Amino acid sequence: MRLKNYQWVFALMGLVLGIMLAFQFRFTREIQRTESVQRVQELSAEVNQMRQNHEALQTQVNNLRAELDNATPLNPVLRDELEKAKVEAGVSELSGPGVEVTLSDSNINLRPGQNPNLYVLHDEDLLKVLNEINAAGAEAVSINGQRLLATTEVRCTGPTIVLNKSKRLAPPFVITAIGNPDTLENSLKMKGGVAEALQVWGIQVSVKKIAQVTVPAYSGGIKFEYAKAAG
Amino acid sequence: MNKSIYFSIALVSLILGLIVAFQFRTTSSIESGVPSGREQELTMEKRQLQKDITQLREEVDDLTAKLEEAGKGSSQATDAFTSELLKIRLYAGLTKVEGPGVEVTLDNLAENARPGGNPNLYFVKDEDLLKIINDLRGAGAEAIAVNNQRILATSEVRLAGNHINVNLTKLTAPYKVTAIGNATTLKSSLEIKGGLVENLSERITVKVEERDNIVIPAFTGELRFDYARSTQRG
Repeated sequence: MRLKNYQWVFALMGLVLGIMLAFQFRFTREIQRTESVQRVQELSAEVNQMRQNHEALQTQVNNLRAELDNATPLNPVLRDELEKAKVEAGVSELSGPGVEVTLSDSNINLRPGQNPNLYVLHDEDLLKVLNEINAAGAEAVSINGQRLLATTEVRCTGPTIVLNKSKRLAPPFVITAIGNPDTLENSLKMKGGVAEALQVWGIQVSVKKIAQVTVPAYSGGIKFEYAKAAG
Repeated sequence: MNKSIYFSIALVSLILGLIVAFQFRTTSSIESGVPSGREQELTMEKRQLQKDITQLREEVDDLTAKLEEAGKGSSQATDAFTSELLKIRLYAGLTKVEGPGVEVTLDNLAENARPGGNPNLYFVKDEDLLKIINDLRGAGAEAIAVNNQRILATSEVRLAGNHINVNLTKLTAPYKVTAIGNATTLKSSLEIKGGLVENLSERITVKVEERDNIVIPAFTGELRFDYARSTQRG
């Protein structure tokens, strides 16, 4: 049953043919991949352009609002009302005393078999912290520079969190809140409070009182498509 | 006999080659998995930016028109100012609004339906309401209220004994969460398989109903800002 020369030739041909097929597949893949990389690059350039456009428009809106404020006759009652409405609507940049709360994922070293999902921050955790901050009388709140509005959602998507429909934030999450610094700190650090509950999972919550923090205005368009003013 | 041997060798080698081929394929498909996720992310951002830009352009037009009007005289200026004030108050939640939307009713599980165990388990908790509100916001709700308490950016939802405080007002079960927005989107985002309603239904009763017209009251509390100062004007 010894193999003869020509049988080796056949074996070799078969092998070569198979490898050629392999490369064929690879090349096809590679072409597809470069295409998609290119598309991502184009898309990314486009998005960057739009971001600049967006920023310019935002500045224009801010300037126009300020101009309108100055152009109208001084009626202190109305003006005060507008200022307050702007704060609540989230369209003005604010500063004042407050706290900076930093949340970062667990520092516990996981043993094999432990569920890592239990030890990372979830949207629920952020919701609870934000709710606590609101209950402590915060006047304006932002996370990683994104102003929180009445319509702001907090969504977990993999390791990042999405706010205001498309603003993707990566940890650590820094919540800036304007309000009474002592009340804010105490309500978070209270015994049996949110910070303690999260520490069970090794999630780090640090609260820093700051004399002057800045909470930015919401950067985006606001328009109600469904809700209309009623009577 | 001889013939069949070399055929089978050729066949085995071909199969070997194909295995190598598929090995390559799998490896490269793993590598190309990343860009498609990025693409999706960028597409999502682009769509939102497009929407934002359109809305900002409208805002620019609106403000420019008001500014022009204000330049004409003092009574026009007051009108322009008032209409701007009304717009901002609408966004802030200081205006009563109406529109299509959903009504979500959450209630403690009836005593005879409880499978046993700690009765506290079957009460509506502040977290349940927070999650419902968050989901509605994610689905594009424009105005939300719980038992007619308007939810603002700074509203709290907090369990205190047997009731829940919202805007420092005591609310008791059943809790009726109303939201204005695209009714179908709002409803389906809550009722999606494995979603919030399915999850909560193990402990409490949740009912979601679409409504053609929902009225959501304005925030009635006092707006006080003792700490926050606008940075634009000293």
